[in-house]
Amino acid sequence: MKPLQPISAAASTPDIQDGTPRTGISVDRRDVLKTIAAGALVTLAAPYVRPASAAPSQLRALMWEGYLLPDVIAAFEEKHGVKFAPTFFDGNSEAYNKLRVGGTKDFDLVQADGFWPSLYYREKLIRDVDYAKIPATEHLFPVFKPAEFKLLTDAATGVDFGVPFCWGSYGITYNTAEMPADKANSIACLFDPAYAGRLSTSARFEENIALAGILVATRMGTIDKPRPNGKPFNPYDLTDEELAGVEKLLIEQKALLLTRYQDNATLAQLLESGAVIAAPEFAQVYRQLLAKKAKGEIDTTFAHTLVPREGGLGWVDTWLVSSGVPDGAMLDVCQSFIDTMITPETMKKIALASGCSTTIDIRSLSTPEEQALYLMDRTGELSKMYMFDQPSSTEKWERVWSRMQAA
Amino acid sequence: MRRRWAAALLLGVPTVFLLALFVVPLLSMVVLSFWRTENYHIVQEWNVGNYVTLATGGAYVTFLIRSLVMAGVVSLVSILIAWPVSYAIILYGGRYRLLLTLAFAVPFLTGEVLRVIALQGLLGPLGLINAVLMALGSAPLRFIMYTNVASAIGLVYLYLPIVVTVIYLSLLNFDARLIDAAKIFGASPLRAFVEVTWPLNLFGTLIGFALCFIPCLSATLAPRFLGGPNGTLYGMAMAQQFGESGTWALGAAMGVVLFLTSIVAVLLVGMRVNLRRTGFTGLGRG
Repeated sequence: MKPLQPISAAASTPDIQDGTPRTGISVDRRDVLKTIAAGALVTLAAPYVRPASAAPSQLRALMWEGYLLPDVIAAFEEKHGVKFAPTFFDGNSEAYNKLRVGGTKDFDLVQADGFWPSLYYREKLIRDVDYAKIPATEHLFPVFKPAEFKLLTDAATGVDFGVPFCWGSYGITYNTAEMPADKANSIACLFDPAYAGRLSTSARFEENIALAGILVATRMGTIDKPRPNGKPFNPYDLTDEELAGVEKLLIEQKALLLTRYQDNATLAQLLESGAVIAAPEFAQVYRQLLAKKAKGEIDTTFAHTLVPREGGLGWVDTWLVSSGVPDGAMLDVCQSFIDTMITPETMKKIALASGCSTTIDIRSLSTPEEQALYLMDRTGELSKMYMFDQPSSTEKWERVWSRMQAA
Repeated sequence: MRRRWAAALLLGVPTVFLLALFVVPLLSMVVLSFWRTENYHIVQEWNVGNYVTLATGGAYVTFLIRSLVMAGVVSLVSILIAWPVSYAIILYGGRYRLLLTLAFAVPFLTGEVLRVIALQGLLGPLGLINAVLMALGSAPLRFIMYTNVASAIGLVYLYLPIVVTVIYLSLLNFDARLIDAAKIFGASPLRAFVEVTWPLNLFGTLIGFALCFIPCLSATLAPRFLGGPNGTLYGMAMAQQFGESGTWALGAAMGVVLFLTSIVAVLLVGMRVNLRRTGFTGLGRG
């Protein structure tokens, strides 16, 4: 083996630039600057440059915070030798914005719900996944398998581009002592002056408008009529007349609201204290309150309307793989991670931690009470819900929301 | 030669920093404001549609007026609270002056989100104030639960330490012997304050006002967590454009309007005040 040449030997090469041979170390200022610049460039670029064949060292996910399970993640990191780096978001549109502005290079895994994955796929923000590499998908309830659940399959090519893992509705949680069940079974209860000052809704503009849109279309009688676009009614694609009705309804509702809650913890406090008696939410707060009631921490009884009689909003949260992930080791790690996250044992933990119903059949791991609480026998009701979607015109919807806020 | 290098370095680094992180983003914001968005897509067509929407939409003018009123009220209240506090620290603080002033900065050791959420807990239906009232058999104070009053309380809480610090520093550099001189010439304590202390510390007061007013104009967190259904302010509406609604071009136009409004507000205040008489020495000898 040839030994490395000592630096001092290289540096002592005679310098004959000015015709006078010199010995010893001679450093030109330009060379130093060039070296520093090159070094800085390499240092800055190093984290972003790696050969395609190299084993992945990091797995970056754009996800909802509530689904993070530190112990499961730690075990996965240890097993695969990768560091899991999550970035959290709240609404789909926020994640979509992040992906569109170069996020496919910043994230390997992405979460989305409703119709958003198909939009991501159309816009090439995510790529296909191979269910054969994700064996835990065999535990999916039949209604969520690709044969029945078409939202995650490209109709043209038949490829799958996402794996569902949790589902739910945007139903109404209410205090049974203050609001009778027949009233709470209608979206109209959220607009009832009889409950002025004791109602709350989320701050999400899409779901507020869409939910009001179902009620407006029902009252206008347009929900079952042929639509201008020839498709069935979708509360995320409202006509201008329906949007005008929604704006009027939301302005009226404003006077009835105590607040628009920003997070589940706030809503739970408001419901517990009795300051709020009904609010639309993802049933997570409802389950928290039921758990508290079971432990004797609260006396109030709460119930949850899964799908109001006019129709309701539903969602299926999915794991997706970003289009920035190439075939090979990185894709394998991504699919392996999804597989880890949807095993029945992990899904049971996720259900308990996040308060969500799972798309994976975990009935064998659950008590009868848990099966009822997490709607394990009610997956069929998903077909009655309108899936979360992108508004037909975000500009029009933003104007409606702003006018309501300013009114 | 060495001095020239030092000057170039000292001025060059901040200049490059400001150009890269302030001027360039601001210019890109101006450019974006003249484009438009369509369902989360930026369409690079030059137009003034966003400004027309802001001027004629009504809602955005309402948000701006609400914010101007809120920022004005919060800044005035902060000044009213900060002056006696700062004055008391100067007069009676003794060797603990600096410590007392630094004590006002303690809340800054936690994040703004945390402070606002803590305040939400304090003012909310289950908060300390209403819990005590209800325990005493009184009705809860509804005007502090998710209202503009709650937002104003939150903003005063957030920015009061800045105003106190600025006025304290102004008073610290003020020559108190001038008050003695005024009293020797027969001025009452009130007249000495009105004619000597106040005008000679007006510049510091204005700086405190501006440092409270400008961030209040673009406040997002306090109205979001404390403001309730009627509490949407301009900054909150602007943040919405960059968040869930994805109408970035309209948001950029709102940002440009906010920037110009802030400059006009500062200029209006500056034009009405004779800076040389306020203790400001930055203009050199007149």
